[in-house]
Amino acid sequence: MKHRAWGCAWLCAVVAVTLVHDPTWLGGGLAAVLLVSSHGRAALLRRAFLAVLPVLLLISIGYLVMGWITETLAWSYLLLLNLRVLLLALLTSWMVRDVDLDRALHGFPGARHWLSIVRSQVTVFRRLATEYRAAVQSRSTVPPTLGQRYRAGATLGLAALDKAMYNSQALTQGMRSRGALDD
Amino acid sequence: MHIPDGLISPQTYLPALAVAVPLWVVAGRKLQARLGDEMLPRLAVFTALALLLSTLMLPLPGGTSGHAVGVGLLALIFGPWIAFMAYSLVLLLQAVVVGAGGITALPVNALAMGFVGAWVTVALYRSLRRLGEAPAVVIAVWFAVMVSALLLALVLGLQPSIAQSPDGSPRFFPFGPAITVPALLLPHAFIGAGEAALTLLVFRHARKRRWLEAPR
Repeated sequence: MKHRAWGCAWLCAVVAVTLVHDPTWLGGGLAAVLLVSSHGRAALLRRAFLAVLPVLLLISIGYLVMGWITETLAWSYLLLLNLRVLLLALLTSWMVRDVDLDRALHGFPGARHWLSIVRSQVTVFRRLATEYRAAVQSRSTVPPTLGQRYRAGATLGLAALDKAMYNSQALTQGMRSRGALDD
Repeated sequence: MHIPDGLISPQTYLPALAVAVPLWVVAGRKLQARLGDEMLPRLAVFTALALLLSTLMLPLPGGTSGHAVGVGLLALIFGPWIAFMAYSLVLLLQAVVVGAGGITALPVNALAMGFVGAWVTVALYRSLRRLGEAPAVVIAVWFAVMVSALLLALVLGLQPSIAQSPDGSPRFFPFGPAITVPALLLPHAFIGAGEAALTLLVFRHARKRRWLEAPR
């Protein structure tokens, strides 16, 4: 219940931030979130900053160039945009860190089941990709050509898909036999 | 290609939410009617695949990012409604687990990529099937990627006109369609080609394994 309430609070906060157009308030919100997010706030800020850095850089530089050419540069807009996007990313990073989605979805067994299978398959795909890279590197001292990498990647990708499908079916049958899907 | 939080105005995402919610309800009912012990694991695996494809992001000029989408593959295997639902879940997971994309932008992203992308793929695939499977899949997926990119470019490009400060400066995304349309369409012409090839590869494999769930 607590996780669902925090999830709803995050949703409301995110919508509220898009309704604020004053950099002072957004800056205050950023400071407030950092203050109340307790220990690990530096890591939280770093994560949020890195997540939005490429987008903010592209837009800010593009806007600066365009504003310089057309002589319509508004520094307050740049501040507003950067603060808003960073604050939204910070709120999301905080939610990702502190809200357990599985608990937040308590009462929705179908959604929880789907979510758990998707998460487990993502882990399987990622592990297979890591193992594949390690296997390719260990078998040859010469780096593979682009063509070889594409062909090997396609073969491994399809093999990984077969494996993921097998695992997923086994997981579903296991859950079914234990009554986990009897809603 | 999807839009992050903070770049589109409430005047855009609230109407998009009003359109998306009934479509999610319809898609949810269709999914519920077809979901069984065989389909659920397949759908979950392909949803995970689409999620992975869409997490490999490349920032693009114009403020968004480029990556394979995966919705064409979902649409060809499960049909457009279920693909829309599954891709909405992909976007939701990206927003709340990975922290990519955004929750306020979710309805716009889901409609442009999930709904329109899935329907364009299926409609084109069905009408072009007489040319052969490979050209039909490749053209359908490439075109769907381009249509979705065009829609998102237009949504972004309209932001300076939709939400402005009293002094005329933008409040959300600052560039008009003259910048966003080429900035998104040009890279997605290449991304779409890669995605089409990948979709064809996996689609043929899925057909060989008898995983196709969409009505042919």
